[in-house]
Amino acid sequence: MRLLASLALQNLGRRKARSLLLIMAVAVASGVVFTGATLMRSIDSSMAVGFTRLGADMMVVPEGALTNITAALLTVEPTDLVLDQDLFARAGIASVGRAAPQKIARVEHSGIDSHHDSVDLIGFDPALDFTVRPWLVEKINRDMRQGDVILGAAREAALGSELLIFGKPHTVYGRLGKTGVGTHERGVFMTFDTFEALAGSVHGHGGGPPAVLQKGKVSGFLVELAPGATPLQARFAILSTLKGVKVVTGDSTMSGIRQGLAALLNGILALMVLMFTSTALMVSVLFSAIVTERRGELGLLKAIGARRGQIVGMMVIEAVIATGAGGVLGVALGVLVMRLYERSLVYYLENIGVPFVWLDGPRIVVVAAAAVVMASIIGALGSFYPAWRASRRDPYDLVRGEG
Amino acid sequence: MLSCRGLRKDYVTERGEVAAVAGLDLEIATGRYAAIIGRSGSGKSSLMAMIGGLSRPSQGQVTVDGTDIWSLSENALAAFRNKRIGYVFQFASLLPTLRLVDNVALPAMLGGDAGSSATYARAAALLGQMGLGGHLDAYPSEVSAGEQRRAVIARALINEPALILADEPTSDLDEQTEIEIMDELLAVNRERGTTLILVTHNLALAEQAEQIVHIAHGAIVA
Ligand SMILES: Nc1ncnc2c1ncn2[C@@H]1O[C@H](COP(=O)(O)OP(=O)(O)OP(=O)(O)O)[C@@H](O)[C@H]1O
Ligand SMILES: [Mg+2]
Repeated sequence: MRLLASLALQNLGRRKARSLLLIMAVAVASGVVFTGATLMRSIDSSMAVGFTRLGADMMVVPEGALTNITAALLTVEPTDLVLDQDLFARAGIASVGRAAPQKIARVEHSGIDSHHDSVDLIGFDPALDFTVRPWLVEKINRDMRQGDVILGAAREAALGSELLIFGKPHTVYGRLGKTGVGTHERGVFMTFDTFEALAGSVHGHGGGPPAVLQKGKVSGFLVELAPGATPLQARFAILSTLKGVKVVTGDSTMSGIRQGLAALLNGILALMVLMFTSTALMVSVLFSAIVTERRGELGLLKAIGARRGQIVGMMVIEAVIATGAGGVLGVALGVLVMRLYERSLVYYLENIGVPFVWLDGPRIVVVAAAAVVMASIIGALGSFYPAWRASRRDPYDLVRGEG
Repeated sequence: MLSCRGLRKDYVTERGEVAAVAGLDLEIATGRYAAIIGRSGSGKSSLMAMIGGLSRPSQGQVTVDGTDIWSLSENALAAFRNKRIGYVFQFASLLPTLRLVDNVALPAMLGGDAGSSATYARAAALLGQMGLGGHLDAYPSEVSAGEQRRAVIARALINEPALILADEPTSDLDEQTEIEIMDELLAVNRERGTTLILVTHNLALAEQAEQIVHIAHGAIVA
């Protein structure tokens, strides 16, 4: 094995330019595959989590809401439709563990952002909340009170500093960690009291304040199942007990986005398969030529007692070293490219409503390893057949240059 | 003891079949020095390749010390080539990427030897014996044709084969070098009792042989 590997290495060193070109070609292919797969998996897992990432199993919103499915829904979509705040408290549904009410208003000209982007103001009930405060990464060392706000991860402001919302002073109480849920990361969170106090400043479509600013009205609930309850049970229980609501689970929220993305991802997948195949073909053509070129030497090796397995092994190892190196290089290039374009890519994806969080480190390592293994398999497949064919021939024929 | 029975080699070409070896019977006793002579194209190399396990006969048998070599499995035949045969080709036959000492050690390593220092010591000693002690680390392209041929002989000897097959080992070398190389081969034959089969056009060399096999049109002529 060591002998074959060292022979293979020496053979690679003979035609440095050719070996380098081969490595580069495989690097490009596996770089594309690695980058594509990482992005696909990242998008996929980002979508799969959504509000489940925030700790909720499902969401209950007014019937008629959610016509426009975007990433904003991952919390609760700002809408004019409202539900009663004590809906769940009154109903007492056994399969529902916790139901955290949220008020959401998407406001413009609030003064929070210097430009005119809209901002999601999100009110929550500290007594029932389980999706906001678990994400606090820093906070002032006291209880939250009226006038305090918590900022999403995407917002910068020192703890304790003053934040004017519609000209009213608020105190930055804490900040959330990255959740990958767009509205969550750009949101400004506050208790219901603080939220309702803004009623005079926010104008709805009709001119008056939106219904959600009224006391006792909420945009929806994030629901956590009771231990042992299934989503299906909970869904039936909720729909049969409560009127005028709609239950959204992780899957159905995302299905719209998924369908749109599925086409794109399928395209990427097809491209990857094509790339894989053409690289495998290229390697096999190249190795047919290399085997022909080295026929005499292979014959000689057989003549002095190399077994067929050794001949094939030597050629396959040579190919695997080259394509494996290409794979490693490709992954490195992929990482580099993703680093370089990270900001614009994530910004773009979130703009079109795709929540995006990079795959976690271990998973990226798995994808990278898979890309390298795949590149090596290309080498093994591409070189095996020509080497195996040559190894069948009589050494004398090989040495004489036939076959 | 080497014996060939009804040995044939037909090459299929576009102009029909060519009978390079046409039904040949031959016996060479162990330890002998035999010379094969004959005109160019008479089938000498084809015969040698069949004896050395390098070219499968179209018909007939090659038996070495009781083993019908062409009925062996692929791996057993490889082991036979490796352990029992030392082949010296008509042309340069060293691997260009390996140093001379690696080339000489290669058959031992292919045979499963882990490239131990003992193997390398043996390879170095054989090269020294062939007058190449100063070129152990040289690459084939860095030494002369005659020196390459000596290295090939050293390689043929590394596994202490029972049979050395030398197919015109000196045809492209000057007379003095030819004599020196032949001396080496004959010394091995005499001192180690290794059977030596030599193909040559040099009648003076052939006449020193204990057995002369004269071939014409793929058959032995008396
Ligand atoms: N692979 C082949 N395909 C077709 N014909 C071949 C092949 N090898 C040899 N021959 C033919 O078989 C005959 C014997 O060839 P071989 O090489 O055995 O002769 P030789 O006695 O060794 O000749 P030389 O002294 O020139 O080396 C020749 O007529 C040659 O043309
Ligand atoms: Mg010949």
